[in-house]
Amino acid sequence: MQYSQKVLDHFMRPHNVGQMENPDAVATEGSPSCGDQVTIYLKINPDTLVIEDVSFLSYGCASNIATASIITDLIKGKTLEEAKKVTWRDAMEALDGLPPVKVHCSVLAADTVQTAISNYEIAHGLKEVPDFGKETIIEELKKIIYPQVGEDIVSLKMVKYVGFDDGNVLIDMNMMSFDQWRENVAQEIREHLEKYPAVKNIQINFP
Amino acid sequence: MKSGNIYMDNCITTAPAPEVLVEMKTYLTDGFWFPASFISTGESTAEAVASFKQTVADSLNASPDELHFTSGGTLANNISIKGVTLSRAVRGRHVICSVVDYPDLLTNAAFLEKIGFEVSYLEPDAQGRVSPQQLKDAIRDDTVLFMTTIVNHVVGTIQPMREYRDVLRAAGHKIHFHADACQAYGKLPLDVKELDVDTLSVSAHKIHGPQGIGALYVKHGTKLEQIIHGVKRIDGLQPGGIGIALMAGFAKAVELTFADLEGGIRHLRGLSDYLLEQLEARIPEIELNGPRGEGRACHNINVSIAYIEGEAVTMMLDLNGITVATGSACASQGLKPSYVLLAMGKNHVQSHGSMKFTLSRYNTREEVDFVVEKLAEITAELRSRSPLYKSTHPEER
Repeated sequence: MQYSQKVLDHFMRPHNVGQMENPDAVATEGSPSCGDQVTIYLKINPDTLVIEDVSFLSYGCASNIATASIITDLIKGKTLEEAKKVTWRDAMEALDGLPPVKVHCSVLAADTVQTAISNYEIAHGLKEVPDFGKETIIEELKKIIYPQVGEDIVSLKMVKYVGFDDGNVLIDMNMMSFDQWRENVAQEIREHLEKYPAVKNIQINFP
Repeated sequence: MKSGNIYMDNCITTAPAPEVLVEMKTYLTDGFWFPASFISTGESTAEAVASFKQTVADSLNASPDELHFTSGGTLANNISIKGVTLSRAVRGRHVICSVVDYPDLLTNAAFLEKIGFEVSYLEPDAQGRVSPQQLKDAIRDDTVLFMTTIVNHVVGTIQPMREYRDVLRAAGHKIHFHADACQAYGKLPLDVKELDVDTLSVSAHKIHGPQGIGALYVKHGTKLEQIIHGVKRIDGLQPGGIGIALMAGFAKAVELTFADLEGGIRHLRGLSDYLLEQLEARIPEIELNGPRGEGRACHNINVSIAYIEGEAVTMMLDLNGITVATGSACASQGLKPSYVLLAMGKNHVQSHGSMKFTLSRYNTREEVDFVVEKLAEITAELRSRSPLYKSTHPEER
């Protein structure tokens, strides 16, 4: 397992790192107890909705820091609409790839950028607070990477069924009993969904 | 000193001593033959093997006929644990170990559970020490094996072997006592008679010997069921060929380590005390994991550095030519934090920020100075990027 030179460059000399004075939007995702934590700061032109400045802080590994560095490069100077289309896949490509087991560490930075944008849009009346439902759950599941291959669990068709009723989330997974990543994936699902006040109970079933 | 190759991950494996390589070469060229009778080549090898065995046996105060070469510490552990439980299954099917044992022991315990044994897992205290009282309480009439790791592979805690021995002696029936001594070998004096263990495993590559060779001490009169079957070349417990050159290298490494064991221990203790002192002086908000001083092996220092993640630290040190280990989940194959640190009551954050330095006789004070200097720089750099550090240190905005 090796990191590309690009990853090492961005890890050793990250761009846009540091706390921002008076940002227009901030988001922090992840938690130290489950691994990494990233904070994204945005400075946004209210007339053009262009991201004029961006910076980050990261409590994380090399993959996490390098992704935060490159994704902040990718969204700088873009409009919010353009920045919304930048995903962890773009960041990974710009880094010349990541070892599969490290992809999950890179998703967090991309995710935090989207949350910061969403926070700005909600605060400025550009969008409503979205209702929590099945779609939100599926969007969250798309952020969970299966470490063996570095792809998300929805694309890999590992999620068989998603249900949401009266605060109860029910997820049926398609992972074999001998799969060494079951525990990691289940824990990540919980971490992604527990942050929503609408979620009261999460049940994850494996075959 | 300039940035070079500084190796401080000696609990994984050590650099073979130059003298070991010289010794091994002879047996890779002229003396490659397996032991045999009535032909000169085989007889000279038999003599050589006997002398290698004597050397390793002496280092443990064992008789040569109690010493069995194996292809490493893991194999020695397997031959003992599976061998004794299979031979004593009729007597009982209860085994005791601890949750902080080396994976060799824990994976064997899991296997034993799979085939119908019951395992009691003892819990450590905050220093990683497993109390003799817990062992006493866990013993049942059908207990057939207690196994332990003398020196913990993560935090260097030395388990109370003599107290364990006394508990087992007072148990009222025979309980096989197996010790994994791979981390302890060459780091503290080990006398199998005094420890009164039934089996004990050691490994050559932890003491500057070659990889791929270890040994199992088996006390006279101990019955182990054969778990590996095949033609006997060197040893009945591990049939098939075991490299003669590897044994030669092992014996040479033992000679070098045990020529002045106390001096070697003193050197390592002095160096690791100095490392800890420098780390604590140069890096704020750092905490030692495991016991301080005599309760830990002389070569191990494990610290948690607050607010930063260990894989990032390890990589930055690596780019400076320094090799150390971390307990961070991000650096592990299974993306899991260190089970030893968690069992000691540390949290995920402490595990993510944990750094393990394991020293050898080839490390110097100059290397320690360089490592601490680099680590202090790296810590400051990563903390300047860390939201956890920024939120708890607002004055350093």
